[in-house]
Amino acid sequence: MLKQLTQQDLFELFDRLAEQYHLLMPTLLTDGSRELMPWPGSKAAAIDGIIPSMAGEPIQRKPTSHFFPQTDPLVFLKPDGTVSVPQPPDKPLALCGLNREDLAAVAFVDRFFSAEPADDVYLAKRSGALLIGLSGHCGDGSHGDHFLPLAQGLCDIELIAEEPNEEKKEQEKQWLAVVYNAVGEQWLSGFAAGSPQRLELLRHKSVTMGHQQQELLQQASRLLQADQVPDSFWQEISSRCIRCGGCNFVCPTCTCFCVQDRTTTAGTQRSRIWDSCQLDAFMREASGHNPLGTELLRTRRRIHHKLVDDPKRWGEISCVLCGRCDRACPTGIGMVAVCEELVRRFTS
Amino acid sequence: MNGNKPSEMNATLTTCPYCGTGCNFYLLSGSDGRLSGVEPAAKHIVSKGRLCMKGWNAHAFVHHPDRLSTPQLKRDGALQDCDWDTALATVHQRLQAIADRHGPDSLMFFSSAKVSNEENYLMMKLARAGFSTNNVDHCARLCHSSTVVGLAETLGSGAMTNTLDCFDHTDLVFVIGSNTTEQHPLIGGRILQALRHDTKLLVADSRKIRLAQHANIHLRHHNGSDVALINGMMRQILVDGLEDRDFIARRTENFDALRDSLEPFTPEYVAAITGLEPQQIIDATRLYAGADNAMIVFAMGITQHSHGVDNVRALSNLALMTGNLGRPGTGINPLRGQNNVQGACDMGALPNVYTGYQQVADPQARLKFSTAWGKELPETPGLMATHAIEAAAAGSVRGMLIMGENPMLSEPNQTLVRKALENLDFLAVIDIFPTETAQLADVVLPAACYAERDGTYTSTERRVQRGRQAVETPGDARADWRILCDLLQRCGIKANYESPAQIMDEITTLTPSYGGISYQRLEGGHGLQWPCPDADHPGTPILHQEQCTRGKGRFSPTRYRPPKELPDEKYPLLLNTGRTAVHWHTGTMTRRSHLLHREEPHAFAEVNPQDAGQLQICDRQLIRVSSRRGSIQLKARLTERVPAGQIFIPFHFAEGAANVLTNNALDPESGIPEFKVCAVRVEPC
Repeated sequence: MLKQLTQQDLFELFDRLAEQYHLLMPTLLTDGSRELMPWPGSKAAAIDGIIPSMAGEPIQRKPTSHFFPQTDPLVFLKPDGTVSVPQPPDKPLALCGLNREDLAAVAFVDRFFSAEPADDVYLAKRSGALLIGLSGHCGDGSHGDHFLPLAQGLCDIELIAEEPNEEKKEQEKQWLAVVYNAVGEQWLSGFAAGSPQRLELLRHKSVTMGHQQQELLQQASRLLQADQVPDSFWQEISSRCIRCGGCNFVCPTCTCFCVQDRTTTAGTQRSRIWDSCQLDAFMREASGHNPLGTELLRTRRRIHHKLVDDPKRWGEISCVLCGRCDRACPTGIGMVAVCEELVRRFTS
Repeated sequence: MNGNKPSEMNATLTTCPYCGTGCNFYLLSGSDGRLSGVEPAAKHIVSKGRLCMKGWNAHAFVHHPDRLSTPQLKRDGALQDCDWDTALATVHQRLQAIADRHGPDSLMFFSSAKVSNEENYLMMKLARAGFSTNNVDHCARLCHSSTVVGLAETLGSGAMTNTLDCFDHTDLVFVIGSNTTEQHPLIGGRILQALRHDTKLLVADSRKIRLAQHANIHLRHHNGSDVALINGMMRQILVDGLEDRDFIARRTENFDALRDSLEPFTPEYVAAITGLEPQQIIDATRLYAGADNAMIVFAMGITQHSHGVDNVRALSNLALMTGNLGRPGTGINPLRGQNNVQGACDMGALPNVYTGYQQVADPQARLKFSTAWGKELPETPGLMATHAIEAAAAGSVRGMLIMGENPMLSEPNQTLVRKALENLDFLAVIDIFPTETAQLADVVLPAACYAERDGTYTSTERRVQRGRQAVETPGDARADWRILCDLLQRCGIKANYESPAQIMDEITTLTPSYGGISYQRLEGGHGLQWPCPDADHPGTPILHQEQCTRGKGRFSPTRYRPPKELPDEKYPLLLNTGRTAVHWHTGTMTRRSHLLHREEPHAFAEVNPQDAGQLQICDRQLIRVSSRRGSIQLKARLTERVPAGQIFIPFHFAEGAANVLTNNALDPESGIPEFKVCAVRVEPC
């Protein structure tokens, strides 16, 4: 299904979605970053002058955090021995504005948490959630002027921003909507049909952009698998790691967590919280022995996991090239930075 | 348990509660009013979408079950819940009764580098106007009081001269006595990034800290030998003719006295004191003085000595001699430890000054404040925190109000501190957790943490920034400013502020350097760097540009004095104390944050393998460390990070408290204790 939407149509769609979903939209925060925040409703948006920030830099916080948050309650244990689990969501989430990298990350994490034994805490939030992808003329320029087209199956609805027309105001912007499944069709059925030729044109423009960094990851992966990278390299990289954990916390495909118990007279709240493999305690055993007991091993593992281990287990590199770890690393040793250095130095 | 709403529905921009770097992040919370996480502010001028491990976990302690939520009063020897009116009336009446009977100076007020500017202002107003004493101080006494004295004398302002962006524009960074990547991680990260672009790095630290691995030269001089090292470098600069003669002539005074004082500090003499090779001193000198623009960065390794002020003077002399002042990428840059230790000093939570360093001994300043507050004010400077502890132990200080500090673990010589606090007629504590200090209190007032109140904080680069309330306080806990307002009212001082913004409005009218700061201006941007004298002023990233704050930069000669207690036959090892990357000070917050606590769950001592061999100690073995003041047990961590002859113990852990051992030898001018040097003995348990 292909539809054509005006900005007004879009707001109408959002209002309708917000009745049945917790709809989160890209929103400009006071510091200038974009985050997925609750859609205030078109009336409130008009009154407060809030418009969804559909164009701009990638969403700051990894969108997978909405299904796998930094702190996630698991069970509550009462002193009388009874156990309660969190209530299911009163309505499912709808995340709007995900680019191709973010959607690829959700797909990866879906596979991870759906594998047996399935993670019911994740699936309780993920099941029934609606994903609205975004492509077309709404990037920040870092990938050219476009986000890349979204692969079918990664989202329910894809919104494609038409080329901005300088004579037109932002409110008159036009959108194409590609619908990938029945749920999407249910929401878009009432809108005007879009032009396949127009879609073809936008697709053609986007495809020519390409993703050069994909090849960089592949090269790095091959070098690592062929054991071409000596430990001295990892020693050097790890000496620049200040153990902030940011690379893990911002990574949309990182799924490691640890368990935290907090006890009051009312009982014990057990939650899971994001963990970081860059911490010494990540794999430290009760004896004190630590199979990842050096910075070198931990730094190497972070890159190996994404470029060697995950391809073996899941058939794909689990870095989606969202760029978050490179932006979050205080010392410049995010995934792309490390791979660039690695490929430059060890490609014969 | 509320699990049916998304947990990241709200995002509140605020300033990190840990170190003085001034990072901003969003606190994420759900509709249940619970914090669920942290996201660094991507566009903030300091954090730039990055945080350290503590910052990433800054939400984690906020809802901890140990949070104090009800006022408590000691009855029958135990703290018991009571109502606010009873608690506040008791605090006011008991402190007033002590003041009436023994004089106002028998009271001591501990303010806090963890609370806002507005709250520090109210605390010093409470001491001065409410109880007529200048006995108000806070933990800057333990960290950068030497800096405030040393830089005020030589330059006229005790704050970081430059701005953090300068790390991107410097040719050389000289880090001395600062483990920057662990204690100011985002600043340490910037230094590491700068090295990728040809900036040089000189590190002087007895420990092999991370920055040392990347340094062009790493000097492992003996703890406490800094004055000799810096004087030796300056003498060598003159020998090599690397001084900035034009700068010295135009912008400084007292150079001849300095030059004369340097004569004895030959490389050989300095080598004998510092344990370095003479050539290392010469090489380091040429590296520093050969840079066009060089930044000096220092922290506790410089200040926490019985000659801490002299250490700071020597560094200031070095910057002046080479003309590294008043330009981008230069300066003398003390890294302030706490998120608001700069602000607490700025707000006059110090015994000798009102806000903006206006002297209490100055009749005009006193008149200004007494007119504004409607109360006669005392003229004699008050007691420093460290002296107040001694005075309490001796019985001349009898009542204390301590807000957001834990001197039981943070002050040197814990035995003396316990004696002092137990000796008091009355102790009231305002805090968020039942700290070791709160356990000794007669009244405990439960406060709001950073995530539960509005306010402003001033970072190490003098950047005044907003903190914003994201969630409600637990139970009946109240924001510190509300507690202080109530006490002020009970003292008959008008304090009916409706918000911290109103308090700031009062501060700005009394404080020239904060004159142009308002909540409205702080709302939109990235804060304002003082001095910011009026509403149109853009703030001042770099101090001393045309001239120093005091006019001419003053060379202040120093002579080498060894630490008060050096290793000897009975106590043969040197004890160095400090912090780890994952814990904060006395651990009240970080030891209640799961990931941080898990990373460093136990007290430990870094021991050099060479010493360990002689002592027959293996890694992770329980050891006993003793000094003349006490003895503790903790685990040994064998590492080359410490040189042979030295052990390092972080002071976070109550069960292996480094400050049982430390020496309360104080710098005569700043009152700072010698946390970095004392003599200990190590034995296997």
